[in-house]
Amino acid sequence: MNLTKLANKTRDFLSFAERKRKEKKKFLKHVLKKLKKHEKSLLKELKETSDADRRAGLESEIALVHAQRKKGVARLQELKKPSKSAKKA
Amino acid sequence: MFRKIILTTVFAALAYGFWASPNFKEIAAGVAIFLFGMLALEEGFRAFTGGVLERLLRRTTDKLWKSLSFGVISTTLMQSSSLVSVITISFLSAGLITLTAGIGIIFGANLGTTTGAWLVAGFGLKVNIAAYAMPMLVFGTILIFQKARSTKGFGYILAGLGFLFLGIHYMKEGFEAYRHSLDLTRFAVGGYPGLFLFALIGLVATVVMQSSHATLVLIITALAAQQITYENALALAIGANVGTTITAIIGALGSNVNGRRLAGAHLVFNLVTGLVAIGLIHQLTAAVDATSAWLGIADDDHTLKLAVFHTLFNALGIVLMLPLLKPMVWSLEQCIKPRARTAAQPRYLHTSATELPDTAIEAVRLETLHLYDNASDIIARALGLRLDDILSGKPIDEVVDVPAGTGHFDIDEAYRENVKGLFAGIVEFISRAQADMTPEQHDELFALRAAGRDIVEAIKDTKHLRKNLSRFLVSDDAVIRGEYAGIRRNLATVLRSLDEVRDRGHDSAAILSLDLLKARLKQYDRELGQRLNDLIQQRKVSGPVTISLMNDSGYAYQVTKNLVKMGAILFSTADHGLREAERSISLDESEMAEALGTLPETPTTSSHEPD
Repeated sequence: MNLTKLANKTRDFLSFAERKRKEKKKFLKHVLKKLKKHEKSLLKELKETSDADRRAGLESEIALVHAQRKKGVARLQELKKPSKSAKKA
Repeated sequence: MFRKIILTTVFAALAYGFWASPNFKEIAAGVAIFLFGMLALEEGFRAFTGGVLERLLRRTTDKLWKSLSFGVISTTLMQSSSLVSVITISFLSAGLITLTAGIGIIFGANLGTTTGAWLVAGFGLKVNIAAYAMPMLVFGTILIFQKARSTKGFGYILAGLGFLFLGIHYMKEGFEAYRHSLDLTRFAVGGYPGLFLFALIGLVATVVMQSSHATLVLIITALAAQQITYENALALAIGANVGTTITAIIGALGSNVNGRRLAGAHLVFNLVTGLVAIGLIHQLTAAVDATSAWLGIADDDHTLKLAVFHTLFNALGIVLMLPLLKPMVWSLEQCIKPRARTAAQPRYLHTSATELPDTAIEAVRLETLHLYDNASDIIARALGLRLDDILSGKPIDEVVDVPAGTGHFDIDEAYRENVKGLFAGIVEFISRAQADMTPEQHDELFALRAAGRDIVEAIKDTKHLRKNLSRFLVSDDAVIRGEYAGIRRNLATVLRSLDEVRDRGHDSAAILSLDLLKARLKQYDRELGQRLNDLIQQRKVSGPVTISLMNDSGYAYQVTKNLVKMGAILFSTADHGLREAERSISLDESEMAEALGTLPETPTTSSHEPD
């Protein structure tokens, strides 16, 4: 590890806001992973279902899970921003 | 009154001691500085109990060896078995760990605390410890004045260590000075009477100072200055070990039944270990001699040999007591029974839970869930249903297919008895628990309080709904009867759906599925409104009845809306960070509308058309 990298790591560790941001990213990624898995299982169930009522229910659920994931990804991008600017600085 | 007399007597005795002997003053000041250092150290570690320690503690509950290791390592690092036992009781009373795991931690802490003797005997006495204390105090104090919580905490730890070192230095100096003027070994007592007498002195000293560490340092420094005999030092160490349980006992006074059982286990362990150590003192000293020779400790290095003894007899205690753990837990459960309680009494709001922000938050969450249990029972009864049936596996149509309006149920009385007082207790506990919390933890507490308010609101709306519901469910008009039956069925479905989500509180996807429930309820409300319009246009219902139905559908919607909102806050069992992440991607009404367009008809709304 070179000196700049070490300095960056030390700065990140000492900065409370930076630590908090990284923690938020980690938790958000965890939730997004769970939602992705859930969406996949819903899609699979939709493929195997012929009942119209159940299909309609599943479609709404999939639409909502997808929107939640989209919101989460946008939030994740926002959380990544400060780190990019810090690197440029 | 008794406490005041004791305090005055202690003050008078100390004042006389200070006047009579400057050396005694130095030793007493050393003990005071040392104890102050312990307080600062605990304060410092508390600053870090906002995550790491709690996460570690949660993960040390599944296996006994993990609990033991956690006890050993955390006590070694923090040099305070008191702090570890207080945290453990706090976790136990918040229901975060089991009694067996708690006992494992306490056993481990007993072994971990022996490292203190090694540090003092091996390092504290061999070097000029005060030289390290001064810079630590200076740097520590500067850091304490910083704003950041972690830096401040680090400052407290540094200053705490500085004070510990300074305290040891003063005790050492005091006993060294005594060496030339007074020989305390004249008071040495040999044989078993001496063993019991000095064990008692060690016990009393530890109870008074509430720190076996301080007693042990005092013993080691006195031993190094040859002011007490080696045999009496061993007895003092045994007494100190028993006396240290006082912290756990005091901590357990404000705890629940499990906290009291843990304190009981702590006392039994230390008492049995102490008695075995006294009984086997000759065998133990022989073992200490052999171990010391093996470790290369000189035969006359009594301070290090005391450290060996301290470790050996605590290890012996663990070896003896571990196989008896299960019977011990069983007998503690038999001896210390929970107090009889009603549904209205708080179950988790104990003073010990306020020791740590995370346990306080968890206690509030669990108590608010208890509030929800009471409330959902009231709601079910107000609907003329049984909560057990709603939450069972029976088809919902079968559950709601019961006559309504029979039997007397006073919702106001039920609210006053089982909800109002409990909610007041939660609010009061929240106001007490707010000290030392981060802004995020404050937000979490406020969110939980809001969830409690949602529950109360849900009951109030149910009360309004009940008036007409019980009347119209037995109406001769099939249309009205059908609409009210639909409202009742929908409420029962929501209670069941919420219970299903609650059972999967560890799964973020389940928690976020509450958005779907919200969307379905909105859709149901919209459809009901539309159906009402149709009924009016077709003149199937009269004007006053229409108004009642409109109002009551509004109340029913508010009940479900408040309950779902409450569920989103209360049901997640994940860590604080994960809960925050779940909430951050939960959808608001406009986002849901955008995602769904027009909601398709769902089973909830399609299967209860008017008769």
